[in-house]
Amino acid sequence: MHAVIKGVCLCLLMVSQTAAPVEGSPRKIFPYPIHQTVLDNGFKVISIPFDSPGIVSYYTVVRAGSRNEVEPGLSGFAHFFEHMMFRGTERYSKDQYNQALKSIGADNNAFTTDDYTAYHTLASADALDTIMDVESDRFKNLKYSVEDFKTEAGAILGEYNKNYSSPIQTIFEKLNDAAYQVHTYKHTTMGFLKDIQGMPNQYDYSLKFLDRWYRPEHSALIVVGDVKHPTLVESAKQYYGSWKRGSYTLQVPVEPPQTEERLVEVSWKAQTLPILAIGYHGPAFSDSTVDMPAMDLLSQVVFSQASDLFRQLVIEEQLVEFVQGGQPDSRDAGMFTIFTRIKDPKNIERVRKAVYAAIDEAKTKPVAAERLAEIKSHLKYDFAMRLDNADAIARTISHYVQLTGEPDAVNRVYEMYDRVSPQDILMVANKYFSPNNRTVVLLKQEDAFKKGAEVQHREKQ
Amino acid sequence: MVLPQQAAGQPHPQTPGDSRASKIRTTEIQSPNSPLITLRLILRAGSVNDPKGREGLNALTAYLLAQGGSKDLTYQEVIAKLYPWAASIDVQPDKEITTFIANVHRDHLDKFYPLFSSLLLSPRFDPEDFTRNKDLLLNHLEKGLRGTDDENLGKEALNMLMFGDHPYGTADATVQGLKSITLEDVKQYYTRTYTRARIWLGIAGGYPQTLVDRMQKDFGALPQGDPAPEPLPHPRKIEGLEMLFVEKPARATAISLGHPLAITRKDKDFYPLLVANSYFGEHRTFNGVLMNRLRGDRGLNYGDYSYIEKFTGGVDSSSRFPHVNTPLRQQFFSIWIRPVPPEKAHFALRAALYELDKFVERGLTEEEFQQTRRFLINYSKLWAQTLDRRLGYKMDSEFYGSEDYIDRIDKELKSLTVADVNKAIRKHISPKNLKVAVVAEQAQQLMDAIASNAPSPISYDSPVSERILEDDKAISKFPLAVNKSASRVIAVKELFENRGL
Repeated sequence: MHAVIKGVCLCLLMVSQTAAPVEGSPRKIFPYPIHQTVLDNGFKVISIPFDSPGIVSYYTVVRAGSRNEVEPGLSGFAHFFEHMMFRGTERYSKDQYNQALKSIGADNNAFTTDDYTAYHTLASADALDTIMDVESDRFKNLKYSVEDFKTEAGAILGEYNKNYSSPIQTIFEKLNDAAYQVHTYKHTTMGFLKDIQGMPNQYDYSLKFLDRWYRPEHSALIVVGDVKHPTLVESAKQYYGSWKRGSYTLQVPVEPPQTEERLVEVSWKAQTLPILAIGYHGPAFSDSTVDMPAMDLLSQVVFSQASDLFRQLVIEEQLVEFVQGGQPDSRDAGMFTIFTRIKDPKNIERVRKAVYAAIDEAKTKPVAAERLAEIKSHLKYDFAMRLDNADAIARTISHYVQLTGEPDAVNRVYEMYDRVSPQDILMVANKYFSPNNRTVVLLKQEDAFKKGAEVQHREKQ
Repeated sequence: MVLPQQAAGQPHPQTPGDSRASKIRTTEIQSPNSPLITLRLILRAGSVNDPKGREGLNALTAYLLAQGGSKDLTYQEVIAKLYPWAASIDVQPDKEITTFIANVHRDHLDKFYPLFSSLLLSPRFDPEDFTRNKDLLLNHLEKGLRGTDDENLGKEALNMLMFGDHPYGTADATVQGLKSITLEDVKQYYTRTYTRARIWLGIAGGYPQTLVDRMQKDFGALPQGDPAPEPLPHPRKIEGLEMLFVEKPARATAISLGHPLAITRKDKDFYPLLVANSYFGEHRTFNGVLMNRLRGDRGLNYGDYSYIEKFTGGVDSSSRFPHVNTPLRQQFFSIWIRPVPPEKAHFALRAALYELDKFVERGLTEEEFQQTRRFLINYSKLWAQTLDRRLGYKMDSEFYGSEDYIDRIDKELKSLTVADVNKAIRKHISPKNLKVAVVAEQAQQLMDAIASNAPSPISYDSPVSERILEDDKAISKFPLAVNKSASRVIAVKELFENRGL
């Protein structure tokens, strides 16, 4: 319940989209009409009619994630706060809130990422009024005791613990911590463990976080399915119209350029294959400049299942279980991350060299026109096939709303993708994939290191 | 009729004689406006069909078909063809059935289908593909489950523990079983098992009728084979708490417990139990007693749920809704306590069993029953939002010989009373005779404390209510009847090594 979705996760690395080449004016890739109304208080109300008879998907997006955690010692708070949002108000206690949603048979949950937090409900369309009532109430009137706050901190530690048996959480912790010096992407969405352990003492800060970020101008409502926009807007005015704007402005520290490669080795007590994670600082999301779209296509050229590297390492030489690489969209400059799990520790260097060679090739050899067309086709159909239910559509639109504030970014970025040329891919390969811009994390089973080896963390001289 | 078996590994001849035989079982959901086509091809065979000493043969064969080449195409060529279409072919080997799942946009169906069918009807059986898939399965056991996935390790250990000598009591693959499997074994298993009697076609979306006809013809050319699954024995009776502790490096302690059930979706009693279970521990919601008492009140961990069906495995295992195409002829009741800090593990186990005891003893009130029934009737309508899942549920219903699951929930629940629910709880759920799997560091110490019924007091960082403190007093000394002679500690490397435990 209530999950952290990592800014970069293995399953999401390949996600991207593009538009079909169309002559004349570009055809919009998003196949459904998008209706948007902005209330006087800045709250965006977006609806997308979709053929899901009797069902609506209801997303409330708050544009605050772990990126917003600028104070030292308070990492992980956006996620913690997501949990607290389920602790009730004066009108609807925690139990009454749960009961209200249970009574309509709703599926209700939330997640937090580096950049945003989303609260989502899937339920019967005739329960829309009930949903708007209880959801708007907690956004406007959340109230929880110190005791509730401290108890919920235990659940956060439980979430950390449940994730801990997989080395992936640790790898992201080490990679982000080493790759970023000052930007808040330095910590994962879950937060530093020491900060999670200190959470029970930060009740006052949690109120400050609420005051700063849970404001209408930072938020949007996205409803997909069996919904009529004028009715939705009227209800939104009734339920969200009295929500007051805030005044806080955020200064996220600017990350200086990385000037030398950073290497981290992690020793793992339980059994594991070696995992190699290689990160390069990349661009921020943009629907008007070519860098990010070109990075997305580059990830397909070099790291998709149809790539030469996959054929070499997974199928022919069988050195690794998988290899993948990509950069998720992010509001500030994010990380292009390559992951591979190596079957035999003795082949780690061989695999690393093969990955670097593939990247070097992308810097000098333009991708063939036919291959580029196949990649664009893949991305187009991949996108189309994922939009097969109301929840998936709402989540997709939420993603673009949180990045830019505008749902139509989904169409603009697709038009950008369509225009990416082989030269654009060469350009980003050379711009971002230099050794000095690289951070490498190597995780191995403890006995694969010398006995007594501790976790090492060093900058290459 | 059983046709003579062909030479191992040879593609099945597609003779007119075969295609005139009985139709292949087919389940369809037509949705002409959908641009998507989803195929679920079920093989009525699973790990229960693995020969002794070859545990993993069903799974490895399935992976080799789905992640290997065809007679005409190498695996790499298959990937290259699928890529521009973003079409997918997945496989889900399970205990009773194995499901091949394909999704494609209608723009590419004409080219996609011959490729999909050739993987299943004319497999390449490439030695390199065999090695790659075998490595994947071995590493999944040795490095994945044993090393880096404590929650699933605990659940798999419980699955094996509950069924003991029963065919369900062995993992879907073992390390020694996999190591002993040769490519020749796979070819023979394919020839013996991928037969008309065991194949079941599922088709949904905006497909033309010609696709159905073609699939009938193509898969109808398989040899007839033997349809009858072996009858299952009854699982051995559990006496007290029979516990298995798995020792491994672990930051937190993962606990799963349960016992086999005598009913499945086909039985009328399943539906009152569905309401009872939703009240007690609905998966990934805040509705359940377990979730509210262990996490909500006490912050012990991230989540606590209960089940009356298998809920692990499957390509949709991250879904909060019941998984599709992992049906069993014999189901089980289980409780999943997500990892707790080691010092609170004893208390957490006691708390779950304390709540279970109360649940069985007092059941639901009329109000709790009404609320939960209303919830489930509405909630179950959300489970099949995509064509792919609708098809999966439909095929599962047919597996059980029951009408459509979601329709039946609606129908059965509407006629239930609270008395039906409470009677079903007492009849089917035992709070005393359970198998318990615990994944922990310093497992022996924990086992000794639990077996000796040592007190397990708990403290909090902040004040909690009197109600919680009162309950805590009872929970911290709640007696657990551990069956010591049936309980033990094993090293993690012993798990999945050979058949059984």
